[in-house]
Amino acid sequence: MLEIKKIKKIYQLGKVKVEALKGVSFGIEKGDFVAIMGPSGSGKSTLMHIIGCLDKPTEGNFFLDGKDVSKLNDDKLAEIRNKSIGFVFQQFNLLSRASLLHNVETPLIYAGVKVKKRRELAKSALDSVGLGDRLKHRPNEISGGERQRTAIARALVNNPLIILADEPTGNLDTKTGEEIMRIFNRLNQEGHTIIMVTHEPDIARHARRIIRLRDGLIERDEKI
Amino acid sequence: MFFEIIKLAFDSLRTNKLRTFLSMLGIIIGVGAVIAIVSIGSGAREQITSRISSLGSNIINILPGTSRGWGGRVSRSSTDIFTLELADYLEQVCPSVKRVLPLSQGSGLLINGELNVQATLNGVNTYYPEVNNYNLAQGQFINEEDLENNRNVIVLGSQVAENLFGNTNALGEKIKLNFQNRDHLFTVIGVMEEKGAGLMGNLNNQAYIPITTFMKKLSNSRFVTYYIAQASSSGEASSAVSEIEFFLTKYLKDEEKEKFNIMSQDEILETVNSVTASLSLMLGGIAAISLLVGGIGIMNIMLVSVTERTREIGIRKALGAKNKNIMSQFLVEALSLSGMGGLVGILLGWLGAYTIAQVGKWPLVITPVSVLLAFGFALIIGLFFGLYPAMKAARMDPVEALRYE
Ligand SMILES: Nc1ncnc2c1ncn2[C@@H]1O[C@H](COP(=O)(O)OP(=O)(O)OP(=O)(O)O)[C@@H](O)[C@H]1O
Ligand SMILES: [Mg+2]
Repeated sequence: MLEIKKIKKIYQLGKVKVEALKGVSFGIEKGDFVAIMGPSGSGKSTLMHIIGCLDKPTEGNFFLDGKDVSKLNDDKLAEIRNKSIGFVFQQFNLLSRASLLHNVETPLIYAGVKVKKRRELAKSALDSVGLGDRLKHRPNEISGGERQRTAIARALVNNPLIILADEPTGNLDTKTGEEIMRIFNRLNQEGHTIIMVTHEPDIARHARRIIRLRDGLIERDEKI
Repeated sequence: MFFEIIKLAFDSLRTNKLRTFLSMLGIIIGVGAVIAIVSIGSGAREQITSRISSLGSNIINILPGTSRGWGGRVSRSSTDIFTLELADYLEQVCPSVKRVLPLSQGSGLLINGELNVQATLNGVNTYYPEVNNYNLAQGQFINEEDLENNRNVIVLGSQVAENLFGNTNALGEKIKLNFQNRDHLFTVIGVMEEKGAGLMGNLNNQAYIPITTFMKKLSNSRFVTYYIAQASSSGEASSAVSEIEFFLTKYLKDEEKEKFNIMSQDEILETVNSVTASLSLMLGGIAAISLLVGGIGIMNIMLVSVTERTREIGIRKALGAKNKNIMSQFLVEALSLSGMGGLVGILLGWLGAYTIAQVGKWPLVITPVSVLLAFGFALIIGLFFGLYPAMKAARMDPVEALRYE
């Protein structure tokens, strides 16, 4: 479903070239749950940004559902992010002034879904992460775990092809992190494809496959 | 989608009310000033023109000219020019001129027992009321006999009569006139009707005596101050002007055209219009600059707002917002700012114009055109100065924006 071929990402910092990814290739099947691990600076986030269509590779190709998306323009990429990708970030990245309901609704607004349908979908997504009774709350009125659950609801609401999570438990304590992982496991069992970056082996344990990066290259790729 | 964007803009403006208000202030003041100034300008002009028109459109003033001062010569008014004979001559030779009214003017103190009033004294002939479309309230005006016999009779302006006699009858009363430190005794024979202030000053504050009396007993001069000419009809006013100019130039051998000055009502109106128009234009320009400054204020706030909300922009992009979505979000915000500022400004300008119209006692003139123009201009300013910040927001790289602290 997802095919990455010899992806390179080079950042130009003045005269210095930083090669964040030096030619990475792999494929991911529908319904998989992949953890990406590796030391700091190994290119994990860079890779996630490319898979999430937030960034374009300098070289190489990226096929999503059989379509090469590595050369698309901004608008097309925005459309793919909207319809096919669900993001979960380490810093939650919720809209601080908006209610949880509005936060979860936002991708649907950009998808052009009508108000009534939108409400319904957002509510049921919040319900599915156990926040059905917090619709009117604002992000600063709830706990970190609840914020991340809101972010997951937001990632789910468009029923995307892939859920991308960059260190989703990085800002949470172990217990809350485990809760989040249980939700990911459940979503994966329901058929969602998940790609997750993590530092912690305990968190990576929840995945079915671990890809290890080092210095912009795949060091190891193993099923568990 | 459209409503979401509007709602988003207002949500964001609501969260920082003080800042929203401050950034609108420039536009508020600008739009308010434009509306007030345009309204005050047209109100004042309407008042002035209506006063000028009330004088009758076929009136032409012939005034002494001002010689240019050159070399050792001082610039001064030519005073010793207008005689009674010249007035008669002009009346006869100019076909489009019905009458030429000679006028002698000076200031005198009128005294009735304990009461006195300083008034403008006019030496006139019997045609004065007719030519100026200015009627008597009581008594009668100066007649031919008064003129022939240099009689000491006087007709009072309404204000003068009230000051000297209050509500009591003035007709037949004797009053003292002190003119250039000499006292004369005059009999009141008439009181003029009340009239709004005109070009020649406040008519109510004047008094009228036979011009012959004025010249022989008061000024001891064979020259009068100026002429008022009346064209046969308003249609002939301009030909009357050229005829007078022609004959006067010839009669006075005035090649330099500096001995006299002709002011027809058309010319006065034109002058007034051009003066008020250029005044309005200047003030309007200042107001427009304030609008511009208001626009820069909006741009400034929008730029701050875009930077502050970099992460929000990143989040929205990650969730699928296209560049144009972000663009319209910020553009609508800037437009809401300037639009709301415009509305408040219209209200404020209207209030200002209303207050000043009350004080100046002229009609409140607010044309829909000026309102629409000011509001439209405010929107254009919002659009123009909102465009750059909005573009900046739309072009942000999502990854960079998400990383922004
Ligand atoms: N915008 C950028 N400009 C220049 N260099 C960059 C940029 N983004 C990332 N890099 C560099 O690319 C390399 C990979 O960065 P990346 O963020 O992908 O690492 P990471 O594996 O996510 O690390 P961490 O675990 O600390 O999040 C790093 O050396 C980083 O300095
Ligand atoms: Mg990272």
